[in-house]
Amino acid sequence: MAVRMGFVIITSRCIDCDACMVACRSENDAPIGHTRNWVKSSGVQGQFPKVREVFQPGNCMHCENPPCVAVCPTGASQKREDGIVIVENSKCIGCKYCIVACPYDARFANPETGKADKCTLCWHRLEQGLEPACVQTCLGKSRQAGDMNDPASIVSQLIAKYPTRVLLKHVGTGPNIYYIDEAVPEIPKGK
Amino acid sequence: MSKVYTWDQLFSRRKFIKGAVATAALGATGVGALAPKSTLGLDSSAQTTGQDTKYVTTICEQCVWRCGVIAKVKNGVIKTLEGNPNHPNNLGKLCPRGNAGVEAMYSPDRIKFPLIRAGARGSGLWRKASWDEALSYTADQMKKIKDKYGAKAMMLNSTDNLSQPFFESLLKAYGTPNYGTQRSLCFNSMTTGFLYTYGNPQPGTDYSRCKYMIFTGRNLAEGISNNETQELIEMVAKGVKVVVLDPRFSKTASKATEWLPVRPGTDSAFFLAMIHVILAEKLYDEAFVNKYTQGFEELVTEVQEYTPEWAEKKCEIAASTIQRIAREFAAAAPAVIAHPNWRTSNFVNSFQTERSIAVLNALMGNWAQPGGLIPDQEMNTAKLGVLSHPPFPAAQGIRLDGVPWKYPLVPLAYGVIQTMRDNILSGKPYQAKGWLISRQNPVLSIPERQKTINALMKLDFVAVIDIQASDTAYYADVILPESYYLERYDGLVTIKNKIFIRQPVIEPLYDTKSSLMIYKELAEKLGLGEFLPYKDEVDLLTQQLKPFPVKLEDLKRDGHYEVENFKEDHSRDFEFQTSSGKVEISSSIMAQMGKKAVPTWDEPPRPEEGHYYLLTGKTAQHTQMFTQNNRWLLEVFPVNHAWLHTSIAQKIGVKSEDDVVIESDVGKVIIKAYVTEGIRPDCIFMVGGFGHVSKGLKSAYGRGASDSALHKTVTDPISGGSALSETFVTVRKA
Repeated sequence: MAVRMGFVIITSRCIDCDACMVACRSENDAPIGHTRNWVKSSGVQGQFPKVREVFQPGNCMHCENPPCVAVCPTGASQKREDGIVIVENSKCIGCKYCIVACPYDARFANPETGKADKCTLCWHRLEQGLEPACVQTCLGKSRQAGDMNDPASIVSQLIAKYPTRVLLKHVGTGPNIYYIDEAVPEIPKGK
Repeated sequence: MSKVYTWDQLFSRRKFIKGAVATAALGATGVGALAPKSTLGLDSSAQTTGQDTKYVTTICEQCVWRCGVIAKVKNGVIKTLEGNPNHPNNLGKLCPRGNAGVEAMYSPDRIKFPLIRAGARGSGLWRKASWDEALSYTADQMKKIKDKYGAKAMMLNSTDNLSQPFFESLLKAYGTPNYGTQRSLCFNSMTTGFLYTYGNPQPGTDYSRCKYMIFTGRNLAEGISNNETQELIEMVAKGVKVVVLDPRFSKTASKATEWLPVRPGTDSAFFLAMIHVILAEKLYDEAFVNKYTQGFEELVTEVQEYTPEWAEKKCEIAASTIQRIAREFAAAAPAVIAHPNWRTSNFVNSFQTERSIAVLNALMGNWAQPGGLIPDQEMNTAKLGVLSHPPFPAAQGIRLDGVPWKYPLVPLAYGVIQTMRDNILSGKPYQAKGWLISRQNPVLSIPERQKTINALMKLDFVAVIDIQASDTAYYADVILPESYYLERYDGLVTIKNKIFIRQPVIEPLYDTKSSLMIYKELAEKLGLGEFLPYKDEVDLLTQQLKPFPVKLEDLKRDGHYEVENFKEDHSRDFEFQTSSGKVEISSSIMAQMGKKAVPTWDEPPRPEEGHYYLLTGKTAQHTQMFTQNNRWLLEVFPVNHAWLHTSIAQKIGVKSEDDVVIESDVGKVIIKAYVTEGIRPDCIFMVGGFGHVSKGLKSAYGRGASDSALHKTVTDPISGGSALSETFVTVRKA
């Protein structure tokens, strides 16, 4: 089966420290004022003292049906064979259609290059056998990445074992970040 | 005289970019290289691992936890930092601050050469100096002060830096008793509380096997201590019971099984009542108590009146909850920990709080048990080679910080820095004249910022060693620029059987030196060179490595060395270094002082109508007052806010992001509000470390507000701890 790269994010293991955001900036030279990934908070919900707060990391969902690719007039936005959605800079004319089209707000116009910019799933690190920078640094092992089509991968094992949800399912983009909210006592072995 | 510069002229961004090729290169790589799969690798400049890329293993210094780091260097530029999987302090992970180390390295606000003040103190006018001039000037001033007023008129301050032992050598060789660490602003109550109970100021905690944890001032999700934070997350994931006492809904509280919004200053009521239940229902470890403790009977008498119902009135946690937690906790013993914490609630009664926590642990018999408290690891740590030097002269005179003449129970190594500051101003018991400060920032750390600035203005001489123009450096006469941690060596670090090295990843970008060499060369200029007997850093590290069959080059290559056949010795785990040799439920030393010897209730003050407790704490994205100038960290935490409960916000008519005025007896700040249900209505919280006054920190200057402008100076007479939360404030719409 074809490779289908994506993320599993375990929200119960996220403490909102934002190490993933700084590691991504460092690895990918994201310009100040913009970020390729994020940690969002539910805000403190409920009434004192019965309150809760949940943190939800995210980035490009590397969708099955990426609207950013569909709207791109030049073919710069594209989905690779392994499922990673990228921008080929030499073809990008900076029209920003893709930025508007993304329902997850995962793209920005890079003021230094004039091109659309986004998470690349750190494919340059994957090639060297390394995890994406955000996954590598995550203190809580909340962020996991891998091949969703390989049953032996960490992400597949997690999806098989725990209930998952995706964001904006009704939009039909087929996002490849699967969220697990319940406690995950142990991260399975795998790649 | 040479030309006079302001900060802007010295370090303008334009000038910097022109002058520093390294940073230009840093900005140019990366995003331009994305190509489709067919051409992968062909034009990806940032990602090739050719011969121009190297990896260097070293130790982080974005806080004091000392995590292992592997730096990736390409064409002489540090590209990224990643956690060293072989380092026990972080197990391959880096927190946001650790990841952001590269930004500060290439910051235009680095101090690039020695500076000597060229206008009034604090005017921000400087002139460039050579190292020889700056060190000679510093040494001359220190000599003058010593000749005229005695060595005691000079204060030397530094906290927890890796080269601290050599700073202490300089201090002792010079002969002053005035050593300022900043520990009294942090966890004096914990260290003294445990010291006078177990003879051990800071026992470890076996998180991985613990079944029930109570935190009362250890906010691991926001005060990140990397491996311990990871342990917290694993505990929560495994379903271990984690109870958090905190007036504020911290991120640790959000992960915990139970959040108890305790009234500030009353944690000890909660613990005394837990002890009451445990004694009344005989839930304690009788064998441990009989064999290893003293004072049990006294405790029984003392806690008789501390019923859960009594405690509920004090701490505002339901009696039934206290009773339930006491029973659950005891049922899970000995794999339980009432965490020693760092700070508790910062009241003058915090020593009693820590004592009651220490005693609660003893009743559980969790000492040296799986999932409990871990005895001192010092004796199970490899011993580095020591440098031989002549005996130090005896320090002349009593200390300015009141240790031990005013604070007899505070260990000399901790001190009481806020009293040191106060006595610069009072001139009692004698007048301080000079201050050498290595990498501390008392202007922002000690309560009552204005007093600290006044103290600096009163001195004859102030020298600061730092990498950046901290608020304190701003008021100095001379700034000796330290190399960044990625450019320098420090003394070696041992953790159990492993030895770790901080080493230069690249050569210093500017005319800076390691603190090892600054201390050494300053000692030489003072005629005290023999007390720091090393030629250079490599010579020093080689001497430290002498007991081990390993070469420095090997250590540098591997980043660590594992001592072979190292055996942990647990034969003395139950030898308690207290006066009685036992775990002192009843403290011999407190009894000698004529004070109540068992943990006791000490009623804390509470704010009057219309006033609020001011709470302060950490965020995961910054380290105290050290990282607010780091632009990568400002991206994830740009400014501090005042947390207000919704009901208070409604009362004064503000919503989140509105400016509010917060005023205490000693100061007033304007800060943006964060309106939330996650705080007690009688409290206002702000993250510390913002509100910088140094114009040399261009990104941090003027951002947010400093808690040091509001905090009153209140000191726990037993532990010397600064009772930060005894500051009460008013709040109104700006």
